[in-house]
Amino acid sequence: MTKRVLLHVGTPKTGTSYLQDVLFRNRRMLAGHGIHYPADRFDAHFLAALDLMRLPWGGLETEAVGAWDRLAGSVRRSRGTSIISHEILATASRSQVGRALESLGHGDGAEIHVILSVRDLVRQIPAEWQENVKHRAVLSYERFLEQIQDPARDSRIASWFWGVQEVPDILNRWGVDLPPERIHLVTVPPPGGPPRLLWQRFSHVFGLDGLDLDLEAERVNPSLGVPETALIRRINRAANTELDPPSYRPLVRELLAHQTLSRRTSSPRLALPPHVHPWAQDVAASWRTEIEKRGYDVVGDLDDLSGPPPLEKWSDPDQPSEKQVAGAAVDAIKALLLETARLRQTEERLAGELRDTQLALERSYLRPTYRMREKVVRRLQDGRTGQRLLKAYRRLRGRSSRSA
Amino acid sequence: MTGPRDRDTLGQRRAWGWVAHLRAGGATPWRDWTNEGEPRGRVLPGAQQLELLRRLNAAGTPGPDLVERTLSASAPGRGRSDLELLGAVEPLAFGPPPVDPGELRDDELLRVATGLLAEDVAAAGLPEEHPPTFVRPWRTRYRLQGDPELADPIRAQLVARGRPPGGRGSTVLVLGDHLDRMVVDAWTAGCFDEGAAAWGTWLGSRARRDALPPRIDLPHVAGTWAGRVGHGRVRIVLDPAAVPGLVGVRRAFIPPESVPADGIELGRRIATTLGLLVPRDRRRALLRHTVRPRLAAQPGPRLAVPPEHADWLQRRAVGMREAVRAAGYPVQGDPDRLLPAPVDHGRVVVTSETGALALAVRLLLGDDGKEWL
Repeated sequence: MTKRVLLHVGTPKTGTSYLQDVLFRNRRMLAGHGIHYPADRFDAHFLAALDLMRLPWGGLETEAVGAWDRLAGSVRRSRGTSIISHEILATASRSQVGRALESLGHGDGAEIHVILSVRDLVRQIPAEWQENVKHRAVLSYERFLEQIQDPARDSRIASWFWGVQEVPDILNRWGVDLPPERIHLVTVPPPGGPPRLLWQRFSHVFGLDGLDLDLEAERVNPSLGVPETALIRRINRAANTELDPPSYRPLVRELLAHQTLSRRTSSPRLALPPHVHPWAQDVAASWRTEIEKRGYDVVGDLDDLSGPPPLEKWSDPDQPSEKQVAGAAVDAIKALLLETARLRQTEERLAGELRDTQLALERSYLRPTYRMREKVVRRLQDGRTGQRLLKAYRRLRGRSSRSA
Repeated sequence: MTGPRDRDTLGQRRAWGWVAHLRAGGATPWRDWTNEGEPRGRVLPGAQQLELLRRLNAAGTPGPDLVERTLSASAPGRGRSDLELLGAVEPLAFGPPPVDPGELRDDELLRVATGLLAEDVAAAGLPEEHPPTFVRPWRTRYRLQGDPELADPIRAQLVARGRPPGGRGSTVLVLGDHLDRMVVDAWTAGCFDEGAAAWGTWLGSRARRDALPPRIDLPHVAGTWAGRVGHGRVRIVLDPAAVPGLVGVRRAFIPPESVPADGIELGRRIATTLGLLVPRDRRRALLRHTVRPRLAAQPGPRLAVPPEHADWLQRRAVGMREAVRAAGYPVQGDPDRLLPAPVDHGRVVVTSETGALALAVRLLLGDDGKEWL
């Protein structure tokens, strides 16, 4: 049986969180069908990607040491089909790609397929800016657009954006050693299509058709509207220097952005400004020509790369409706108040438990036998002979009594 | 990217010729290179890796292992991926534009170099541990707090002499110096501990928030300890010569080795990459015991606070001096020592990527005559 490795390397904001959640929660059932999704935690492949690419990520990278080699080792030991999926792999350099493929058994019997899910730039550009904002960025939408349109691409923002979004370049890096039929492009359908269409495409390319999978998502990466994103950016500007990354992630990204503000779905949606559309269409057209020339396996339709037309009424996140931002801010304050109340209750409960423990400890200290023993030990510690006696006693009694 | 399918172009053969030249120890810049060569490898190394190797060749004689490691390295962290050589590939409608490697920013070469150095440090490991010294029961009980660059080395020497800190009735000695010196020390300690933001960013953020690093906010440190052990057992020490007497030893301490400005910047960058190679505790130990001693042995001027922050520091130092006096802690030394030291503003030294890169090249080549251990 040929060992197959399906390596899903991106791109971000193409339903990857949903896919990874389904694969992780169904991994035991998949194993029964010869499909190996080697992960002991839901973000295992993210950590492996950080390790492969040596990417710092707000302190999370410290949990990633050695993660790629462990993942690759698990893939090499398994039979049948293995799936690896993380969208930040899209930005791997060519030497990192070489190392990754070799560690997965390329050239040593493994049949490696690279899968790239892609979405039109019209939706990807605003989504990437929003993702930056949810990762503490403070730059305006206008500045973001300027940076990604700069041909030099030497800013941190631009190099990351194109590293994870520029489809022909990603496939150049990941596909140089593979024949085109082992490179699969999954296109994200345009908005308003059948809700399951993207999953059907994933299911087809990963060989999951016919399996009875639990498709209820627990982890998705929800998007924000214009006033909500503007609010998070203002919060970043006000709090970044004082709020460290370990606190930012649960409070701002998770509690405010994902759990609270993403529920405000009636606000204007973030979109590409109409004047940037022609440029985005030109880029997409050049990609399409290149992809067609190379002969990759396309799952979906390359027309999907064109994206939706410009909005008639575009809302500028750099100049949002202050009324809408205020509404979002009230929701954010309410969420923070409720969270603070919850933490206060937890604090009170823990303080009560600590008080009870201290009282119990004091009661045991007040016992006459304890006080007598304490006095003896203190006296013995003052003299050399006493210290020797104590040492001998402790040795006889065993290790556990030394720290008492 | 240029893969096997594109190897037969003139530009590609020229590029492979340059790779062979660099492998053989050559240092001709890419823009002056004309000879052709045969492909030797899966893909052409990136412009950053090739230019770093050229700089290594120009500065010394890298060994074959270092040559191959440089060519196959990837720059850690965010930034531009491996770049194509200008003239080696046809201009494409996508991908980062090809570059003349001679025009790359020092920062891009430094990313590759620090990746290699971090690997060296992780491989070198830690110095051999000394066996635990007999702990003297009759020692003076003390705790050392305050400026980490003053307190930490003295504490380490006392531990080595069998005098660990703590114990009943300890006197808390809060060590301090000129405030500008302490600010530099706080950043330095952070760089060799958990890692820190770049000097300018870190200092600017502190100044804007009017927030001194907690360990060098001496009145705050003293107040915290006074709350724990009592006001009478806290002393402020501004005279380093007084420390031996206060901790009950006669022999003076070996003064702490300061790291030059470029060394701190390089250490900071190594720290970031090292965090991706080893667990957190080991990283801290490697930074303190393996990286720092070698960087401290390098020549170079010391870092100083730029003049634009002089007013802030002067105001905070005066406030600190008055707070110490008002609190009534015994002070060893002159409280005026807390004020910023007079600075020749024309000679203020800041960190530089160029200096850090030059130092990285020297360390990779072993031209400093030292090793990690």
